[in-house]
Amino acid sequence: MAGMPANRHVLLVSREALGGPYHLLTFRHREAAREARAGQFVMIKAGASPEPPLRRPFSILTVDPEHETFTLFVKAVGQGSRALCSMREGERAQCLGPLGRTFTPPGEGTEAVMVAGGYGIAPFRLFSEELRQAGRKGRVFYGGRTASDLQLSDRFEPLGVSLVPATEDGSLGQRGRVTVPLEAYLDAGPGPVRLYACGPDAMLHAVARLGESRGLTTEVSLDPWMGCGIGTCLGCVVSVQRREEPKPKYRCACTEGPVFDAAAVVWAGEEGSAARRAAGSPR
Amino acid sequence: MNLAVEIGGGLVSKGLYMEARDGCPTPRIAETPSGLLNAIGLQGVGVRAFVKDVLPRLARFDTVVLINVCGDTVDEYAEVTRVLDDAPGVHGLEINISCPNVKKGGMAFGGDPVMTHEVIKAVRKATRLPVIPKLSPNVGDITVFARAAEDAGADALSCINTLLGLAVDVEARRPRLAFGTGGLSGPAIRPIAVRMAWQAARAVKIPVIGIGGISSAGDALEFLIAGCRAVQIGTANFVDPGLYDRILGELAAYLKRHGLEDVNQVVGTLQYPGVT
Repeated sequence: MAGMPANRHVLLVSREALGGPYHLLTFRHREAAREARAGQFVMIKAGASPEPPLRRPFSILTVDPEHETFTLFVKAVGQGSRALCSMREGERAQCLGPLGRTFTPPGEGTEAVMVAGGYGIAPFRLFSEELRQAGRKGRVFYGGRTASDLQLSDRFEPLGVSLVPATEDGSLGQRGRVTVPLEAYLDAGPGPVRLYACGPDAMLHAVARLGESRGLTTEVSLDPWMGCGIGTCLGCVVSVQRREEPKPKYRCACTEGPVFDAAAVVWAGEEGSAARRAAGSPR
Repeated sequence: MNLAVEIGGGLVSKGLYMEARDGCPTPRIAETPSGLLNAIGLQGVGVRAFVKDVLPRLARFDTVVLINVCGDTVDEYAEVTRVLDDAPGVHGLEINISCPNVKKGGMAFGGDPVMTHEVIKAVRKATRLPVIPKLSPNVGDITVFARAAEDAGADALSCINTLLGLAVDVEARRPRLAFGTGGLSGPAIRPIAVRMAWQAARAVKIPVIGIGGISSAGDALEFLIAGCRAVQIGTANFVDPGLYDRILGELAAYLKRHGLEDVNQVVGTLQYPGVT
């Protein structure tokens, strides 16, 4: 079918254990290295084994067009991610992508404020590079339960993006949820801001509410269970209601997301909120 | 019959009702050992929007197009059928009397042979296109349903739809799917599917299309040897979207290895113990 992403058997060229369940996996893939944009993902599974049956979606952390590689940040938590993290260099994975909708870059003079929870940091490294190339300002608020959840936090300052950590146990940065320093920053009256968030649903919902209360455009990268990655199985749908629409509609996170306008997402427990926004109440 | 395999491939749409349907809430899919449990709930745009917006795009491909027909009532099945009967680029209708993930219709027709006969008869009257009921495996004896469909004028049978399953999140003590139960597909169901397609093929004179857990030529050959005239592949598309080239290559290699010229030569050649 036209526009069908290519399925590639990609070589693992490097595997870096970051400690605990976290790994950086670098694969050779010319198209992904050249074409992938921040917010996009690949559907990937280790080797040719039929188990587990499905591929897993991972945000693209970085690309290296010169060496024709892309890198994923993977937390080994289940069967699929564990199989990927136990691959050896020189082995192959089955990879489909790059897939999905990218973040919308901020306009000139607008700061990109990124909010990450845990491995939700993944899409923001590439986004920070794109911001730097476009001459835009960026800032990351990075939250997790404890310090070891805040991997890769040293990889943003070199791109001119300052990173504010927060942990629930206070082991790194401010104690508490990431929305606390975020709110303080927004209260301090920065210039024009656009919000971007990736992480657990509860955090995304909190950031969406914060953005809405301050009239900020907010984009969220959602991570529902995904089957195929190409809009066929209809497994990864998200309830979304855009301004002009009379009622919510299930949309595939793989093809119409994973990045969505937070104001259009119908959050669990808040059904009807998108309808109120659609009806023209302030956002 | 314009069955797909005979003229080099085809595709089957997802089920269509008269009106658009939202489908089930999420989560809709759960991975299980060698399988996929789903409760999508027939999300779709409705048959008229499909004919207007989707069919013209499918017509660009040189392939057979079968449309899967759904209904909450016998009348709705007939009505959807009439819309498709007039539509250009439709080569046949697969009648979905076996979806486990909708509250009414679906299994209500596929779980009762009298209802199966009634709905297929109504569809038969409404179209000259080939009519292919998709049978449910969630029955005691599939041959009863195969014969009921044949008697009602079906041109072929699709065997099988998904098996009703339940996966439990033991931490939350809730079903892993929002709908509760779901339909199981993938390699996990293949031996059951081959057995049921084989039983159906022996019970009727019309062709049977084998479905269930196919992801290689060997898998497809199991169904063909068991008596199926064609096969469909569903779940494996989600795992490997490039699988058709591979499977056709494997199939050609198999035929060569066995000195066969045509895949039809293997159909129904199962040497089953005690059956001559």
